[in-house]
Amino acid sequence: MDLTRRATLLTSAALAASVLHPERAFAQETPRRGGIMSVHFATEQRILNPSLQASTGVYIVGGKIQEPLVDLDANGNPAPCLAESWEAAPDGKTITFKLRQGVTWHDGRPFTAADVQFTAMEMWKKILNYGTAVQLFLEAVDTPDPHTAVFRYSRAMPLGLLLRALPDLGYVSPKHVYEGSDIRQNPANTAPIGTGPFRFVQYERGQFIIADRNPNYWRNNLPYLDRVIWRVVGDRAAAAAQMEAGQILFSPYSSLTIADLQRLGRDPRFEVTTKGNEGNARTNTLEFNFRNPVLADIRVRRAIAHALDVPFFIENFLGDFAKLGTGPIPSVSTDFYPQGMPQYAFDRRRANALLDEAGHRRGAGGVRFNLRLHPAPWGEDIALWSTFIQQSLQEVGIRVEIVRLDAAGFLRSVYNDWNFDLATGWHQYRNDPAVSTTVWYRSGQPKGAPWTNQWGWTDAETDRIIDDAQSEVDAAKRRALYADFVRRVNTELPIWMPIEQIFVSVLSKRLRNHSNTPRWASSSWHDLWLAS
Amino acid sequence: MRAIRAYLRGPAAMIGLVLLLAVIAMALSADWAYPRDPLSLAGRPLQWPGANPRFLLGTDNSGRDIAAQIFHGARISLLIGLVATGIAILIGIVVGALAGYHGGWVDDVLMRVTEAFQTLPNFLLLLVLVAVFGSDITTVTVAIGVVSWPAPARLTRAEFLSLRSREFVEACRTLGMGDMRIIFREILPNALPPIIVYASVVMAVAILLESALAFLRLSDPNVASWGNLIGLGRDVLRTQWYVSAIPGVAILATVLAVSLVGQGLNDALNPRLRGR
Repeated sequence: MDLTRRATLLTSAALAASVLHPERAFAQETPRRGGIMSVHFATEQRILNPSLQASTGVYIVGGKIQEPLVDLDANGNPAPCLAESWEAAPDGKTITFKLRQGVTWHDGRPFTAADVQFTAMEMWKKILNYGTAVQLFLEAVDTPDPHTAVFRYSRAMPLGLLLRALPDLGYVSPKHVYEGSDIRQNPANTAPIGTGPFRFVQYERGQFIIADRNPNYWRNNLPYLDRVIWRVVGDRAAAAAQMEAGQILFSPYSSLTIADLQRLGRDPRFEVTTKGNEGNARTNTLEFNFRNPVLADIRVRRAIAHALDVPFFIENFLGDFAKLGTGPIPSVSTDFYPQGMPQYAFDRRRANALLDEAGHRRGAGGVRFNLRLHPAPWGEDIALWSTFIQQSLQEVGIRVEIVRLDAAGFLRSVYNDWNFDLATGWHQYRNDPAVSTTVWYRSGQPKGAPWTNQWGWTDAETDRIIDDAQSEVDAAKRRALYADFVRRVNTELPIWMPIEQIFVSVLSKRLRNHSNTPRWASSSWHDLWLAS
Repeated sequence: MRAIRAYLRGPAAMIGLVLLLAVIAMALSADWAYPRDPLSLAGRPLQWPGANPRFLLGTDNSGRDIAAQIFHGARISLLIGLVATGIAILIGIVVGALAGYHGGWVDDVLMRVTEAFQTLPNFLLLLVLVAVFGSDITTVTVAIGVVSWPAPARLTRAEFLSLRSREFVEACRTLGMGDMRIIFREILPNALPPIIVYASVVMAVAILLESALAFLRLSDPNVASWGNLIGLGRDVLRTQWYVSAIPGVAILATVLAVSLVGQGLNDALNPRLRGR
């Protein structure tokens, strides 16, 4: 009895020490080489190259194989990766990157400035979602020598913005693989060739992806792991069971059910945390298709926003994992979050009045009109939110039909075929509104680019604010411009973003050096290792 | 009359009948017992059965009343069962009757087509149909009917093969009756009892097929079906198992009821089993 109590005391003392000094608990361990990291891969998008598609579902695989020019360090500051240093001209129109020397592609060819030039001009500027907006004013990339890339812009590019954008939108692809081919159809899109710590080996659709240790990686003696396996598991409950069986060590980006997140959080074998995802704040969206004349009426959009009791939804369905959202810039972004923007509090009477005013009287069965809602197939919160939208809109006389599709089908019908009325998914905010937020509003996005303005909504005033803010070098003025932006889009309401969340990771306690940057799940894992 | 008496003598058949009547009663009383839309938000999600007297069977993870969904879901299940069975039996009878009566090349062609359908597992074929034509409830029902016809067709053909050379058929031919009249007015009524019995199997399978589709989240999410509830409950299976278990029991009871009734009908209608 006494012994047990003493043992308990010792254990709790050790626990307290490790909580207070986590670095001390780990510092004594020497990294172990070898081992296989297995990752839950919930949403196949049929593309793995992050130079062509910016999405957590691409970074989770491609981010280990290809690398960006700039990465983030533990405190969220830009850190050298393929670029060793950078410098901006005083007018902000020229930014020079010095590239790392002695880096080779997985096929043995050297990495040079020509690869950066080709990727920037042909992929980031022309194809990459978000990239097309960030690089809108990029005119050319000069390569005075094989290890210098000079980005020339027609309007000033704030260095801070570019450096915050590049960790996500700065992945480099090999020119010799893509040159002269149809980039979108290149086989390397699903068998990527990069410079990263892991080399692509095999991709079996719907089953698994394998990448092995790159023995020629430029960070000497890294990575520690021998192999990474991504297991494609679409069923959330099955993925949780595989984690408990030890077949999956890491489930990123809130891919498990909320009930399982809470359950595994109490299991000593797992860590459930938002750490390592701070750079990936997300908001739940409600996207309107303006090609439907009913939704092109602002009174209808506002009525729909007023019909949703978001605090009730968060309290009863999402719990601790979410908070009330106020628009496209989430509150975690202290540099840009604006106060006192137009909001749409739950007000069913006002919603009904607005719909009456718009001329949509209730017909048979109290129904005013029908809408189709396309929910994105990732994340349980989206499924719950879409059902909640259906239930809430029924109360104000709008009949909603939910259309469920797989990931590729959803992206195609919403962002390419424009075949939807309402859509809901995640908008991801990445450290600066110009990285992956303003593209949801700026007109002129290429058709088919996911998570961009495909609503058929064009507003010259919004476009002007976005462009000015993107090339404003003065920090205070940029902040003011983004406040104008939020005020404008919360008034016009082409999309409504009423919920804020940070992604939740579920990790096996065997992982070491994990969650050590604000975009760790997307990063290269060169220093990740597995305790035995 | 004699068949009814024979039916009522079987205890299993009586249990089946009572269960089936209970499901039908649920379907009929759904609007009266739960007048609100069963998919509407009723209260806090995931309340255990009995925890709140307002929700006898608790609420699911979307805050909907499970009892209301069970009652309204009975309609959907029975509707899918009846309509899909109707479609399957209709196609099956037409194909089987023509093949069995005519024989020769007509039989060859129709049976090769039937076999082509039979070589495909019917659930896979159903998945393909739903993937191509979408998953609203009408499409799903028709698709289930379309994948279920080969077995009734073969059964009908077998009956026709044995009946077509009987004397009464020869007599009809001698009287100068047309083929269609012989097939549908003379042979079919004699071939019908085993087909009716088999219809109960088709109906049970149809209900299960819809549930399987919904379990994979491929059925129509806009109707309150039992399968949808099971599919939704899968997310909370480890903690709130009742969300999946309650509709599971409802499906079990309905399928069992239909099967027992079919068995009872078989015993009552099949003269060879009489007096056993």
